[in-house]
Amino acid sequence: MKADLNNFPQLNKTKFENRGKEFRLGIPVINAVTVGNSIAVGFGDGTVRIFSSGKSSEPIKAHKGIVLCMAKDGDHILTGGDDGRFLRISLDGNINEISNFGTRWVDHVTSKNGSVVCTSGNIVYLWMPNKKEPKLLEHDSTIGGVAFDSKGRKLAVSRYGGVTLWKKDYSNKWTSSDLIWKGSHNKVIFSPDDRYLVTSMQENQLHFWRLKDKIDSAMSGYGAKVKSFAFVGDSKYLATSGANDAVCWPFDGDGPVGREPICLPYVGKQLVTFVESFPNENAILTGLSDGSVYLSEIEKANNTIIIRSFTEFEVSAIAVTDDCSHLLIGDMGGNILWTSIWDEEKN
Amino acid sequence: MQETNKQVPVTVLTGFLGAGKTTLLNRILTEQHGKKYAVIVNEFGEQGIDNDLVVDADEEVFEMNNGCICCTVRGDLIRILSGLMKRADKLDAIIVETTGLADPAPVAQTFFVDQDVADRTKLDAIVTVADAVHLSSQLTDHHEAEEQIAFADVVLLNKIDLVDENGLEVVKQRIKKINPFGKIINTTKCGVPLNEVLNLDAFSLKRVLEVEPDFLTSDHDHEHDDDVTSLSFVSDTPLDMEKFQDWFTKLLQTKGQDILRTKGILDFTGESDRYVFQGVHMLMDASPMGKWPEGKERSSRLVFIGRNLETMNLKEGFENCKSA
Repeated sequence: MKADLNNFPQLNKTKFENRGKEFRLGIPVINAVTVGNSIAVGFGDGTVRIFSSGKSSEPIKAHKGIVLCMAKDGDHILTGGDDGRFLRISLDGNINEISNFGTRWVDHVTSKNGSVVCTSGNIVYLWMPNKKEPKLLEHDSTIGGVAFDSKGRKLAVSRYGGVTLWKKDYSNKWTSSDLIWKGSHNKVIFSPDDRYLVTSMQENQLHFWRLKDKIDSAMSGYGAKVKSFAFVGDSKYLATSGANDAVCWPFDGDGPVGREPICLPYVGKQLVTFVESFPNENAILTGLSDGSVYLSEIEKANNTIIIRSFTEFEVSAIAVTDDCSHLLIGDMGGNILWTSIWDEEKN
Repeated sequence: MQETNKQVPVTVLTGFLGAGKTTLLNRILTEQHGKKYAVIVNEFGEQGIDNDLVVDADEEVFEMNNGCICCTVRGDLIRILSGLMKRADKLDAIIVETTGLADPAPVAQTFFVDQDVADRTKLDAIVTVADAVHLSSQLTDHHEAEEQIAFADVVLLNKIDLVDENGLEVVKQRIKKINPFGKIINTTKCGVPLNEVLNLDAFSLKRVLEVEPDFLTSDHDHEHDDDVTSLSFVSDTPLDMEKFQDWFTKLLQTKGQDILRTKGILDFTGESDRYVFQGVHMLMDASPMGKWPEGKERSSRLVFIGRNLETMNLKEGFENCKSA
């Protein structure tokens, strides 16, 4: 008999697990957002916890069912839930209800420069700074995702059939144009330099538009739906989930058309379920369906280290603090690892 | 395996406005004590559902391109079911109430096509509530009524106290002509034991083996071409697998829009296992389902429900699949 070392579960704990704090909460982790040097985590029981160095995290009862979505808003977080509530929460747990949609879910939230957005069904609700009443931007179908550009002057709204791109003129009037591609579009993001817009689709693929000339193309070949993707470094690569490798598309120069992605392989045949860029480096944190998490340099595939060994549950959140001192990993089994990144840091 | 991978059964309630869907829903919710249900309703639905987890949906149907197969799915269901599966508290079941005029096909297809939905939930059954008084005229006037009967695993024939015996028999025959698999249950005010509408596992291949539809002859009457009817075929001669696959794949690709549901148990030459399948339009779930029972004769049975079936040369196509 011969042991299959490639598929042998990683039973030894990593140095990050040994020195970090592990929480076995048993509640699915839905999302995590960095706010300065703290990380806010939303759970499948409607609670939010804030993780910071040297502080314990108490559950904040935010929503009745699930924290469906979460975003940073200055030194606060925004959350939307399946109880129809749209909330602004401070890091010390003060909850302010911005709006309540009853039995309709709040599917997506985002903010930029004091403007605050949530979506419910096919409507974007946009609160401009210091305005009490929201502006309503209506769409023909349910919204799959929202994102501001880096200046907060454009708002991309993904939906069935493409993306509606809203632009704000200098008199604060919003006008829209359409980026069309057949199919249902989910999460949407701008590249950090605002040159590209990328969506993930209901089919196992992504789509991108180069905004200056509206050239667009699909990025396909995935075995599963692409649920997580992030630009890495100075928008040089787009790292994506949905395959056994972390697939990284080149977005420098003229973009990915006609070019091959870099595929970072991992041990075994696990699916990549979550990717997050490592700030200021050309590196990504990759979470797999067995709970393991790796840190890899994109252009040096052999420079991969294991951050967390397997837990059996798919990785659903990874976040790094703004000062790059700590990171947090969460999975659908409710396991959280909060650890310092560098050897000399304290937890 | 992961705990989150346990599949939660989803029951789909269809039926025209006023047939009694909400009555059935409230009966389920009040009688099933101690169970946790999520109910997905639509904005045009009848009011007054007594449950603490009610989700508003938009019945958003969209097209999906999966390789060569194009089909429609319910986008809102993908979103809501995926969301519900992230909850910390596990649900015993999910009930989806559709609008009176909804076509059940996109709902059923969602469970075939979306991997997340298929991993974590399973379509348990389509239950259609029909008004015994008005069903006949609804079937004549509305495509959707025919589709709701055609897709039903259970037809709850409600308000039978308002029709006479003869009228009831006419309605039942009409239902059976459209759908020979559907189990018809006579009720007043949707009074039905809940184990006859919940946890039926009607979409599992195993259940296909247990269903004995009323087999019809292929020379049937039809009133006009738009009528949904069913055709069934039996063969004691084993089938040639390659020939069958060729014929059936092409048939679904070209006529899948008109073929609403198919089910079959097949006896292939040289195979010791029974092959079982069931399909919704162009999508199909198929698998070998163990050996043929000893002492029983092997035979192939195939049933179609759809429109314009008589134009598809089904009998000839099926005959050509027999091993020489």
